[in-house]
Amino acid sequence: MSGALAGIRVLDLADQTGALAGKLLAGLGADVVLVEPPGGSPLRAIPPFWHGAPDPERSLFFWFYAAGKRGITLERDAPDGAQRLARLAEHADVLIETDAPGRLDVDALRAANPRLVVASITPFGRSGPYRDWKASDTVAQAMGGMLYVNGHPDGPPLRSLGLQAYHQASIFAAIGIVSALIARDTTGRGQLVDVSLQAAVAAALEHVPGFWHQAGLVHARQGTLHWTRYFRVGRCRDGWVMHCTVGDWTALVEWMKADGMGAAVDDRRFEDLTTRRDEAERLFDALDAWAARYTVAELVEGAQLRRIPYAAVRAPEALLRDPQLAARGFFVPIEHPDLGGEIPYPGAPFLLADALWRVARPPRIGEHDAELVG
Amino acid sequence: MTRPLDGIRVLDFTWVVAGPVTTRILADLGAEVIKIERPGTLDFGDRRGGLSGTLMRGKKSVMLDLNRPRAIEIARRLAAVSDVVIDNFSARVMTNLGLDYDALRALRPDVIVVRMTGFGLTGPDRDHVSYGPTLQALTGYTLLMAEPGGPPAGFGYSYSDLAGGNLGALAVLTALWHRRRTGRGQLVDLAQSEAVASLVGPVVLERAANGGTSASAGNASQEGPAAPHGVYPCAGADRWIAITVFTDEEWRRFGRCVGSVAWTADARFATREGRVRHAAALDALVAEWTRTRVAEELMGELQRAGVTAGRVADAEDLCARDPQLAARGHFVDVPTREGRTVRIDGPPFVLSETPARVSGPGPLLGEHTDEVLATILGLDEREIAALRAERVVG
Repeated sequence: MSGALAGIRVLDLADQTGALAGKLLAGLGADVVLVEPPGGSPLRAIPPFWHGAPDPERSLFFWFYAAGKRGITLERDAPDGAQRLARLAEHADVLIETDAPGRLDVDALRAANPRLVVASITPFGRSGPYRDWKASDTVAQAMGGMLYVNGHPDGPPLRSLGLQAYHQASIFAAIGIVSALIARDTTGRGQLVDVSLQAAVAAALEHVPGFWHQAGLVHARQGTLHWTRYFRVGRCRDGWVMHCTVGDWTALVEWMKADGMGAAVDDRRFEDLTTRRDEAERLFDALDAWAARYTVAELVEGAQLRRIPYAAVRAPEALLRDPQLAARGFFVPIEHPDLGGEIPYPGAPFLLADALWRVARPPRIGEHDAELVG
Repeated sequence: MTRPLDGIRVLDFTWVVAGPVTTRILADLGAEVIKIERPGTLDFGDRRGGLSGTLMRGKKSVMLDLNRPRAIEIARRLAAVSDVVIDNFSARVMTNLGLDYDALRALRPDVIVVRMTGFGLTGPDRDHVSYGPTLQALTGYTLLMAEPGGPPAGFGYSYSDLAGGNLGALAVLTALWHRRRTGRGQLVDLAQSEAVASLVGPVVLERAANGGTSASAGNASQEGPAAPHGVYPCAGADRWIAITVFTDEEWRRFGRCVGSVAWTADARFATREGRVRHAAALDALVAEWTRTRVAEELMGELQRAGVTAGRVADAEDLCARDPQLAARGHFVDVPTREGRTVRIDGPPFVLSETPARVSGPGPLLGEHTDEVLATILGLDEREIAALRAERVVG
């Protein structure tokens, strides 16, 4: 079995803002060639590092985003740099770039190779009044509306775990790239995919724009209480748990009654979802008082047996020991010969039954220079 | 050819958020998306625009009561002429309806079947139930999105549904590409838990390689050391600006914006290492400066000076006061059959030759039942009326 995108050659010029796009395409089987400056990609300077020691060959940040890519070095600012890049682009299907608009001559590359699909990921897109403005992941999350609704009401807005502005822009770039490849089958021509970090964040919101459009509502952050008011974090004996009041309500009430703590919830009015929403605070307070007698594991197991969607509030390292992920092979052990061992890499975001998801060791600096001379 | 998925038909059993996010992208790309809806289905107010309209934009709505065998038969006939069949029920629902991959493949050998479950179609937890917030809890987001040392906060919404939904669109496109190359359809097993877990980022690899325990870092940079970095209060109620300074050159530009005050020349802050080491003190000084400034003005001033900054946009900022999103046509006004105009979010990427676009407003419940039954299945008016009288369709 091979990857779905086997035979597609991708030139990856992206910094961290678009690094996930190439990683996704590599996972799907494309030959993704990361183009680094001679000293190595700037991502190699970003922590965390293997056992904490800074080393361009041991950045876990780089490894995460470069897994499955090949690597070549090319000095783009050298006298022959642009020419070498152009030659590589003539033999590529896709080029991913994250330069400020105008720096890379996209039109010339497309003219030289009309079948080329160019994905350009920029902070605000290649047009509009902010086209030359800069963004970090945090600034893009702020400008795209993600940040304002996260956090406690008496604290600051909170950014996400993980570079989710970059991740969403990269996912949309990958969507645009595969769409453009499909279109190329018909038209014979590639095209430019113009992705804005800000707009990608705005397209990864749920309630925020919709309720403004339909009702002029500005939703604010409200701690762990989900905007629907059907979820809130509670405390068990040994940790945090996510409560949910949209599962099998009758089963939850029966369970609490059996524990002698049903008085606060055993009310016919709560059979109506809107009542549970409107009186969420009171309801979750009652659930908290009840949950305090259980461990997280006991409560989640009991809830799932009753088909009530409860979950433990865990640290990301819990994923490494998760039996479900293990049974499905989510983590893929990758050999790092220079470390004398394997590291489990997080793997596929989805499984295609008839096409392989490929996870492979990230490249060393210039590892594939001899195979691919621009 | 005007759009990449022209001629592709998607039979869409999805509901609430994650699945509809996948199929709205397919609709934007030109696919004909036929949304199967049940009587009394959940929606978020006005089906034409706003949140529901943004989720269901450009789709057709067919109301089928899947509790009735004749409705299942209609679904099977539609599946036989669809390229993609997609649902986001928990794992056993489509099997119980007789609409799982093996059943659908018997109807159409090259069908692409996308199952967007919480935990996947295999494994000990395959029948566990979940929603976006519970998946965010399981994968680390809820615990680690917190102020340093503070209680969990997490996302205020179901980011997991957007993550899984957007990745679902990539899965469908890839499977369509694969079918063009091989002639074969396939089953796509998308566990929303895995989709959102795949986006946590390098911290998972760090724990795998280095051990240790993760702690919340508030608004500190997760892309290399930066200070000042984070969110700072501005003038007015709940107004904030995000600022990111990585390099010494950016720090000098920032200092010129602040003007001639002593702290910008403080030797502790002269290097990136120093600024990061003294980040708490620096943050307090920056906050004191930003507190009296108007977020929009300060953002423009900093950006013009080459400093990375942006206001923390609320819904109104985003939808009604952002000249960039407006110039890019991110929100679109869509006419409805009744002569209204509704506002809907559009696709966040531009394809230069075959652009994606909003195909239409959200459908009313069952709006396209007759059209789909007549034009795709060839039923006549009398047959459709009989099915409606028996409450098979609505």
